[in-house]
Amino acid sequence: MTPKKPLAKPRTSSNRSRLYFIWWNQQKQAIDFSLKRLWFNPISAWITLIAIALALSLPTSMHVLVKNLQSLTHNNQSVPTISLFLKPKITEQQANDLAELVKSQPEVLTTTVVTRDQALQDFKKISGLADTLTTLGENPLPNIVIITPKLNDLGETDADLDDFSKRLKTYKEVGDVQIDVEWIQRLRAILQIAERIVAVVAALLAVTVLLVVGNTIRLDIENRKDEIRVTRLIGATNRYIRRPFLYGGLWLGLFGGVLSLLVVNIALLFLVEPVNKLSMLYGNTFNIGGIDLTTTLEVLITSSLLGLIGAWLAVSRYLWDSKVIND
Amino acid sequence: MIEFRQEAIIEFRQVCKRYPTGQLALYNVNLTIRAGEMLFITGNSGAGKSTLLKLIALLETPSKGDVLVSGMPLTHLQQRQVPAYRRRIGFIFQDPHLLYDRNVFDNVAMPLLISGMTPTEIVRRVNAALDKVGLGKKTKSFPLMLSAGERQRVGIARAVVNRPTIILADEPTGNLDPELAQDIMYTFAQFNDLGATVLIASHDHGLVERMKKRIIVLQRVEA
Repeated sequence: MTPKKPLAKPRTSSNRSRLYFIWWNQQKQAIDFSLKRLWFNPISAWITLIAIALALSLPTSMHVLVKNLQSLTHNNQSVPTISLFLKPKITEQQANDLAELVKSQPEVLTTTVVTRDQALQDFKKISGLADTLTTLGENPLPNIVIITPKLNDLGETDADLDDFSKRLKTYKEVGDVQIDVEWIQRLRAILQIAERIVAVVAALLAVTVLLVVGNTIRLDIENRKDEIRVTRLIGATNRYIRRPFLYGGLWLGLFGGVLSLLVVNIALLFLVEPVNKLSMLYGNTFNIGGIDLTTTLEVLITSSLLGLIGAWLAVSRYLWDSKVIND
Repeated sequence: MIEFRQEAIIEFRQVCKRYPTGQLALYNVNLTIRAGEMLFITGNSGAGKSTLLKLIALLETPSKGDVLVSGMPLTHLQQRQVPAYRRRIGFIFQDPHLLYDRNVFDNVAMPLLISGMTPTEIVRRVNAALDKVGLGKKTKSFPLMLSAGERQRVGIARAVVNRPTIILADEPTGNLDPELAQDIMYTFAQFNDLGATVLIASHDHGLVERMKKRIIVLQRVEA
């Protein structure tokens, strides 16, 4: 038998542009195919998206809440004052001398002396207990030195503020020191705990998203087992088989993230009015803020990555379990 | 890239295949197939016809001995080279393994999509392959709308659309009536005329003898 001329070999040009063209063509196919799968399976797609959105919206809303409260502490940190309650026997002159002495320190911006008489007058005005106070006979209030520190020289942490107040307490004239931002310090401590809780909740729900996406992709693989087997037999690489599923996971994560942002924004709209009212009652100008650009990007990138990883795990497991000889 | 030599395109050297179940499918097979040759492998059920084809397609590996394609032992192929190797082979099964949610065109286009060809090239090649198997007017039909013979021809079109060097067919006419079976065999002969090496496993001795090509007869090995 005379050997015949073989059929033309498939074009296997190794030049870079050709390879790039093939790569891009296959990406387009996979993108197109994965989006069509979502579009033509709307019920399962929506169920998965809602599950992802709900799982993501809890840590996102907690994160937004914590950020808002953090902004509250930052806003107030700019004007902290320290009140030195002087001992009862300290005279007005001694109070003024102490104020001068304290003012000479580099951490101090201003000092103001509130005499015991001034303090009594103010208290009468605020409390409405003027008549009761006159029955006391003697003014029970001490002289006070109010200090506004220079924040730059003081440092930024609560510990720096504490150190400074401890130093002030060493003056023999001082009976007690009170930092007016103590409630902010407490809130900040609570927020630190809240941040940790958000991190733990976010991690747990991230695992949930991984499982949801992984399971959805696993079901999709089950439905397309025949197709995968055939494509493998006709020379598809694992990468080729994996690609549409990875895009599928990516879309689920990304669209789930978009949906969660929508849910959180709607929830915030419900909160804006009562929070602003509450803030006004406390004489504060605090306004609840929405989701900023950074948080939006964080949520979208995280959700997309979770979708991608979930899909990767599901497909890799399938490819490993159904390993074909030498493939 | 896999380098192919022309003359002896497939060689079996003392090949044995024993399945994990203990069944001995092939024992000490020595065989040389030249490039461009068309030959039939016959034998009774369980004689190892399908196993022999699967060894060439790398769906199985030999327990002993070597299978060489264009001079290269297949066991030397690296894992990442296997898909590329499979793209050089057209495999046709008794059941054509079509995807029933895709039309004829999309089924046949699959190997070209995997190769990353342009849409224009895909349309051109798929239409040419379908014309060759006589299904040029059924591109939009779905597999369930076709007869068994037509489905088999879609499988053949899919196997040849990537212009493979080697075509392997495992009982391609097993489910067809004699007239259709003859048609399918002539289709294979046409691809062979174009230069492809064609190996067909069939237990239909009459059909095989009518084609007047080399015949390899396998006998069942007792373990």
